[in-house]
Amino acid sequence: MADAEKIIEIQVLRYRPEQDKEPVLQSYKVPFTDDMSVLQGLQYIKDYLDGTVSFRWSCRMAICGSCGMMVDGKPKLSCKTFLREYYPQGLRVEALAHMPIERDLVVGVEDFVAKLESIKPYIIPKEPRTLAQGEYLQTPQQRDMYEQFSSCINCMLCYAACPQYGLNPDFTGPGILALMHRYNADSRDGGQAERLNSLGHKDEGYWGCTAVAYCSEVCPKGVDPANAINQNKMASAINYFTRFVTPGGADK
Amino acid sequence: MEVFKADIAIVGAGGGGLRAAIAIAEADPRLKIALISKVLPMRSHTVAAEGGAAAVTRPEDSLDHHFNDTVGGGDWLCEQDVVEYFVSQAHEEMVQMEHWGCPWSRKEDGHANTRAFGGMKIERTWFAADKTGFHMLHTLFQTSIKYPSIKRFDEYFCCDLMVEDGRCQGVLAIEIATGEFTLIEAKAVIIATGGAGRVFRENTNGGIVTGDGMALAYRHGVPLRDMEFVQYHPTCMPRTGLLFTEACRGEGGLLLNKDGYRYLQDYGLGPPEDKPRNKFMELGPRDRLSQAFWHEHQKGRTIEGPFGSVVNLDLRHLGEAYLRERLPQIYELAEEFMGIDPAHTPIPVVPGVHYTMGGILADGKTASPLPGLYSVGECSSVGIHGANRLGSNSLTELIVFGKVAGIEAVKFAKSVSISNPDAIKKQAEAAQARALGLVNKSDGTERMAVLRTEMAQSMEDGCGIYRLGKTMQATCDKIDELKQRYKNLRLEDKSKVFNTEWLLGIELGYLLDVAQSMVYSAINRKESRGSHQRLDGFEERDDAKYLKHSLAFYAGDGAPRIEYGDVKITKSQPGTRAYGAAGVKADEERKKKGAANG
Amino acid sequence: MSARRPYVRSMDGWWKRDAYFIRYMAREVTAIFVALYAIVLLFGVVRLAQGEAAFNGWLQYLTTPWMKAFHLIVLAVFCYHTWSWFSIMPKTMPIMFVGGKRVQPGLITSTGIAAAVVASLAVLFIVKGMHP
Repeated sequence: MADAEKIIEIQVLRYRPEQDKEPVLQSYKVPFTDDMSVLQGLQYIKDYLDGTVSFRWSCRMAICGSCGMMVDGKPKLSCKTFLREYYPQGLRVEALAHMPIERDLVVGVEDFVAKLESIKPYIIPKEPRTLAQGEYLQTPQQRDMYEQFSSCINCMLCYAACPQYGLNPDFTGPGILALMHRYNADSRDGGQAERLNSLGHKDEGYWGCTAVAYCSEVCPKGVDPANAINQNKMASAINYFTRFVTPGGADK
Repeated sequence: MEVFKADIAIVGAGGGGLRAAIAIAEADPRLKIALISKVLPMRSHTVAAEGGAAAVTRPEDSLDHHFNDTVGGGDWLCEQDVVEYFVSQAHEEMVQMEHWGCPWSRKEDGHANTRAFGGMKIERTWFAADKTGFHMLHTLFQTSIKYPSIKRFDEYFCCDLMVEDGRCQGVLAIEIATGEFTLIEAKAVIIATGGAGRVFRENTNGGIVTGDGMALAYRHGVPLRDMEFVQYHPTCMPRTGLLFTEACRGEGGLLLNKDGYRYLQDYGLGPPEDKPRNKFMELGPRDRLSQAFWHEHQKGRTIEGPFGSVVNLDLRHLGEAYLRERLPQIYELAEEFMGIDPAHTPIPVVPGVHYTMGGILADGKTASPLPGLYSVGECSSVGIHGANRLGSNSLTELIVFGKVAGIEAVKFAKSVSISNPDAIKKQAEAAQARALGLVNKSDGTERMAVLRTEMAQSMEDGCGIYRLGKTMQATCDKIDELKQRYKNLRLEDKSKVFNTEWLLGIELGYLLDVAQSMVYSAINRKESRGSHQRLDGFEERDDAKYLKHSLAFYAGDGAPRIEYGDVKITKSQPGTRAYGAAGVKADEERKKKGAANG
Repeated sequence: MSARRPYVRSMDGWWKRDAYFIRYMAREVTAIFVALYAIVLLFGVVRLAQGEAAFNGWLQYLTTPWMKAFHLIVLAVFCYHTWSWFSIMPKTMPIMFVGGKRVQPGLITSTGIAAAVVASLAVLFIVKGMHP
């Protein structure tokens, strides 16, 4: 351990389903240096103070999306949040909001994964192309139309931020709707109608969003899910009226 | 205990595992695939790869060039027939990824762009901004959702292989959410569990890169090949070890010592030029660059400061706009983790452990000597990296050999059936008892963090960039000792639901076994080759004695048995690895010789 | 029988948890004031249809202390409503390029607010012009 003259108090919301009736805060005093992240603080606790604290983590560089948690009530990636910002008052770490707590800082992710699978998150080609014909052509500008939405690391901070998801778990939610838009906006894809008719135009789709936009505020990758959803509402509203006129009710 | 009957089981859902699953699903949609991963697939460490994936694309490039770059980069320890296959399939796999939606960076005309990378003669590295691994992984995962025959076991931790009648017939996995065990019977098993960089102290790897599949195959008698070859990536963040992609150097980044001098020119990589030049200076191979750092440090020419001994990665001349467009993730890493703006300040960097060249012995079709067991990706040694991997070859490896593993597993699975379910069930129960023994032990005395830290420090000392017989011996002794102390591991967490301490404990066992195979392989290779460099009388390459692969065989508590296997040479006879101006000269001489031989 | 027992936390009082949510609720509440003001204006239109005396009666009513206070409150609320409306407007726009460069959200917001200010000043001048 590096020379550490400073100690910070980390309160962790514990929950051990086999012994705890409900979650309870537990406090730990952690020596730290200025370059240490909250994740490293938790690792210190697990290594040297209390081996029973459970949390997800892996890459340590904000790309795998494992380590999302609430730090002083705000959704953050613990690997990219630094202890020095909470000194000397200390900090409180809890599992991501709006999701069931399985254990300590670990939330249930089945709903998120099921929703991810439900939006057809793969290219439905607009036109066929063999491998021998090489890659589809896509200009840098065409790529710009969807690249930002493809940068989602599935960290679920936006789900912890979205009160509509918290109030109504049927809502598909910001991250997955952004992923749906990523495919709809990809010049190579021709599956827009399928995705919109089966989900986008519905309450669980775009219309479950009331433009709180906290999701975009907390997103660590600048995906801007609020934009992914709300830029489609005008078209979706028009579609609501024109679908009676146009066969198939398709829109882009 | 739950029993699931699959046709093929895949352990690990990173780039290699996902590509294999898709290949199987496309080859025969009736086959039941169990895709098992201890984390959600998009957390797999493929996600952290940044720079790109190599494939011959430009008209001025050729398969021979890619072949020669790879074999030379590997210091002639590559299986050349496998490399030939690899370079021939790369381009098609890149196009396949593109068809599946991978957002490759493009040229103005809409074609995929390629960039320069270390040790590559011609630009052939396909890239998706500086998050290529991320985009490839998400593309593969999202595409895999199309196939209903892929049944995913997300957050299931594989704790043993089932080997019966001399064949691999399944795996035993722990459902992390409940602590319950599931036996997955399968007629073929593909291991795609990644590398083992976490045996070292400073590394670019995520917490999950603990050599699980390597250790499991190893314990069942499959040799681990070339484990002494560990790649030190030259440009990592000090202390955390986080990666600054080689693409920084491909785009023109410079490495400077404390005098602001481009020191690589002193190490056979020069002369320096204004623009990056392939195989020159900062675009030399990773082992050479890491070794140069070590020498600079010995000479006292590295920069001492709050981050320890570092050199500077200078990207200032590229300008903020260009950096934010081509290297956005790097920009963010420097700003957020180090408080540095790379457009105005050079980034302090050090070498850190990045990649495990060695792994489970795999033939050119990814098959291990154990029938029914295949391996793909960093966990396997299929023979393309040799003694040193070239950057951007490993992402390509995942998809080329992921497909091969899938197709081979299909063939094998169709030719056999589960031979003795009762015996397998008994094996599973024994494995379950072993795993539970770890968590139920009440009289343990050793703290996990202590064992892990001692292992990591010892591996850094003994298996560093440069190695000495006596420090390697000290590490051998230390790892032997730690394996004994591991039997006395004390776990505080006795619960069932998300008991991550228990899983870390099992992983520590894997790490110790893999570490042991690494250091014993290293001490026995009495030469210097690629990333295994010695300073104790064995400074030179010794093709007469050591143009051979090391094979480490598990010996339980004792030291692994090290044997040697032949290297397949086809087109490229071992020569000198030359880069910079010397490399150009060597290329010309080789061309002249080739022309003379007609 | 699995040992899992997921714990679901209550959403009671969710909007008080974070300043961002409080601002959001405030934004949504401004819609009520917009509706109230629209009703006042609707009364004015009805009174206008009922003749000059009725309309003057309505105008007289608007000068009472309660109505003056109401108008001040509504003005403040409308300022917040305008600002929050244009703040969220970029989220409703697709990605746009002008001269090869991406249009920034801040530009959309400031353009909108500027347009609102100009329109408000124009109306003010016109109305002032009717009362020399």
